[in-house]
Amino acid sequence: MRGTARTVAVAAMSAVALLAAGCGSGDSGGDQSSAAGGKTGGEITVRGCNPQNPLVPSNTTETCGGNVIDAIFSKLVHYNAETAKPENDLAESIDTTDNQNFTIKLKQGRKFHDGTEIKAKNFVDAWNYAAYAPNGQSSGYFMEPIEGYGDLQCTGTGDDPCAGDGKAKADKLTGLKVVDDYTFTIKTTEKVSNLPVRLGYSAFSPLPDAFFSDPKAFGDKPIGSGPYKLDAWNKEQSIVLSKFADYTGDFGGKVDKITFKIYTESDAAYNDVIASNLDITDEIPTSALIDDKYKQDLPDRNAQKETGVIQTVTFAPTKVDPNYADPKIRQAISMAIDRDTIIKQIFNNTRVPATGWVSPVVDGYKADQCGEYCTYDPTKAKALLQEAGGFKGDKITLSYNADAAHKDWTEATCNSIKQALGVDCVATGVVDFATFRTQIAERKMKGMFRTGWQMDYPSIENFLAPIFKTGASSNDGDYSNPEFDKLLTQAAASTDEAEANSLYQQAEALLAQDMPAIPMWYGKTTMGWSDKVTGVKITAFGTIDFSSVALK
Amino acid sequence: MTEAAVSEAPTSTPEGGDSAPARSLASDAWRTMRSNPLFWVSSVLIVIFTLMAIFPSLFTSTNPTEAILRDARVRPNADAWFGRDIQGYDIYARCIYGARASILVGLLTTVFTTLVGGIVGVFAGYVGGWTDTILSRLGDVFFAIPLLLGAVIVLVTLPATDNYFYIVLKVVLALVVLGWPSMARLMRSSVIQVKPNDYVQAARALGASPWRVVRSHIVPNALAPMIVVATINLGAYISAEATLSYLGIGLQPPTVSWGVDISAAVVGMRTTPHMLFFPSLFLSLTVLAFIMLGDVVRDALDPKNR
Repeated sequence: MRGTARTVAVAAMSAVALLAAGCGSGDSGGDQSSAAGGKTGGEITVRGCNPQNPLVPSNTTETCGGNVIDAIFSKLVHYNAETAKPENDLAESIDTTDNQNFTIKLKQGRKFHDGTEIKAKNFVDAWNYAAYAPNGQSSGYFMEPIEGYGDLQCTGTGDDPCAGDGKAKADKLTGLKVVDDYTFTIKTTEKVSNLPVRLGYSAFSPLPDAFFSDPKAFGDKPIGSGPYKLDAWNKEQSIVLSKFADYTGDFGGKVDKITFKIYTESDAAYNDVIASNLDITDEIPTSALIDDKYKQDLPDRNAQKETGVIQTVTFAPTKVDPNYADPKIRQAISMAIDRDTIIKQIFNNTRVPATGWVSPVVDGYKADQCGEYCTYDPTKAKALLQEAGGFKGDKITLSYNADAAHKDWTEATCNSIKQALGVDCVATGVVDFATFRTQIAERKMKGMFRTGWQMDYPSIENFLAPIFKTGASSNDGDYSNPEFDKLLTQAAASTDEAEANSLYQQAEALLAQDMPAIPMWYGKTTMGWSDKVTGVKITAFGTIDFSSVALK
Repeated sequence: MTEAAVSEAPTSTPEGGDSAPARSLASDAWRTMRSNPLFWVSSVLIVIFTLMAIFPSLFTSTNPTEAILRDARVRPNADAWFGRDIQGYDIYARCIYGARASILVGLLTTVFTTLVGGIVGVFAGYVGGWTDTILSRLGDVFFAIPLLLGAVIVLVTLPATDNYFYIVLKVVLALVVLGWPSMARLMRSSVIQVKPNDYVQAARALGASPWRVVRSHIVPNALAPMIVVATINLGAYISAEATLSYLGIGLQPPTVSWGVDISAAVVGMRTTPHMLFFPSLFLSLTVLAFIMLGDVVRDALDPKNR
């Protein structure tokens, strides 16, 4: 369940976020956007894509639906568009003394789009619904830290684990308690220092009573609580949002109406922006990224910003492929990759070379955690490989899912390894993402394979625990280091933010020694807009910040 | 067709004019073609491309899989005559090495469709009756499947490997499965046309076995249209291979092929069109050469159209 859900999250990244991203001078960007301001009111159109699932916050893990969900649902905390720092939105306060028992007080008077008031039970009911396995919510695993999560999971095996004896034991999380209309408490199974940061993820949105009476109808016309409400979802064509008149929060927008026009090709959306038939595209096609063509097409109407995405190359578990067991071989391969040239030539500067395993956009990021092992040095790489006794297999393989744009960079990466180490390297395409992930999950994939991570919430923990902790859901390389695990547990228990971050950083430093995955690069998002709009900003999640967009 | 058959007849029954030596259909066609400049143009092109396919090292000493990423997308220059592509491969070298896949696919597909289609067509046309009905309807079934759809099904169903010839054969198989019915139809109709001729009846009356009748009377006289269509189709198969590779289901990297390179170069159409231009040029020239040759052969074998 959890593994699948993660898979989808990464899928969303690979399909959309990585294809997006643009180009630029390589600085952190974000300030290239036109000056804020502009008049309020009016309507804009933005590029949309087909949501995979009905629009239910706890069942949306891909960006097509996620962009709409973000605009129409308010959460307890809101991530600052510039810095990704959490700010209270629906929450009046989130208090804890021990990182395990949290008391949440809500602001009074905040309403759903159907006029009902947002109360504590709307959160508790929504989270119970998400966590209860028979409901099949893809973001249900976000509730895992909450006490009692295990009892809501099905234990059976086979096609339907919820059938017969496998049925979940309970349908309510014991860790959630409603105190009064505007107060509830959360008890977690273990200490979680960054729970308040996580609560801004869309899976933690409150749901109105109307949802529970007919979840299916809700999915087509969701009743949210955000600054915009959904007017119409014309399947395959457009999703129309309009300003919610009774919105009293701090993160309202300026325009009255936002229409997501659904495109299947980013080229088509881009051409529409040039022709002023579309106001904003959050994805610049590769054809316009080459030689910075988009900067000529849309002068002063483009922006680029780093987002919480990291691309890595993971080694198959030692049991599956012993050829890569020696960390020196792994480090040698990492040093044989010319990240700068690949980013310049293949990605047109829409990536930033990775110097560690954590994205720079999150709190707690420390540069150069990977050190010399992430710096291209063919001579040292070759020496290190010889020190380790050379590569035993006949060739290095780098597998990727062939249904997204990964062929070019995997091929270039392999060429770089081949030239530096003198060992043959082949980029191997696997037909589609589902097959690719299945082979990895069943531990049948040998050699190296591409892995990507888009942060769920802006915290250093999100880049370490789910990927490298022993037995974690996305630990594709079966990495296990007791010391690393110990540091993560200590950090989760720490009540001091700085101390927690420093413990996480110590844990990250261990990864450089063992090299379970090679950090490749961090993602960037590039957007372009028509001459009708102003104030377009990119959030740390690579989405459009609707609170600042306005018509000129 | 009938005229050709008549002009062939004298060779088997020597009663032609006593002044002129007996001339076969082939020598007649050869005389016509020799005097056609298009024949020489297309032949020279085909010889060059065939040489390229067999001995690519005659034309370039550069390795087509040696990437110089630093120079990716560089324009044509003295070092790389046609420039470099996205991965930094030398486009000239890749154009040369790409000929092999295209020509192999074109030739093999033509040979196999002609063989399968010819045999089925002769059977259907000569035996007739219910054999004809079954074979013709079977052909119609395959004929009804659109080329791309059918090829996708065949190519996706067969397991993938790295072996060069296996990949090429997969594409050939896909094209043959969908291409033989048109050949069979053509052969069937010309066999039916030849069958009632007097020399065929005479041979049967003299007690020749069906095998002998087919071999020495039917096939030689019904073959001309097949040769023409097969030559023209060869060009069409090469472009079909490029289409399939372009769509990502035909030949796959690391196989070097024009279709694969065209597919990879499309993103640069607005910014670095040279990456697209050269493989497309080679592809177009090859297809053009075979289609021109087909035209010349048709003119020579079917003097009525002249």
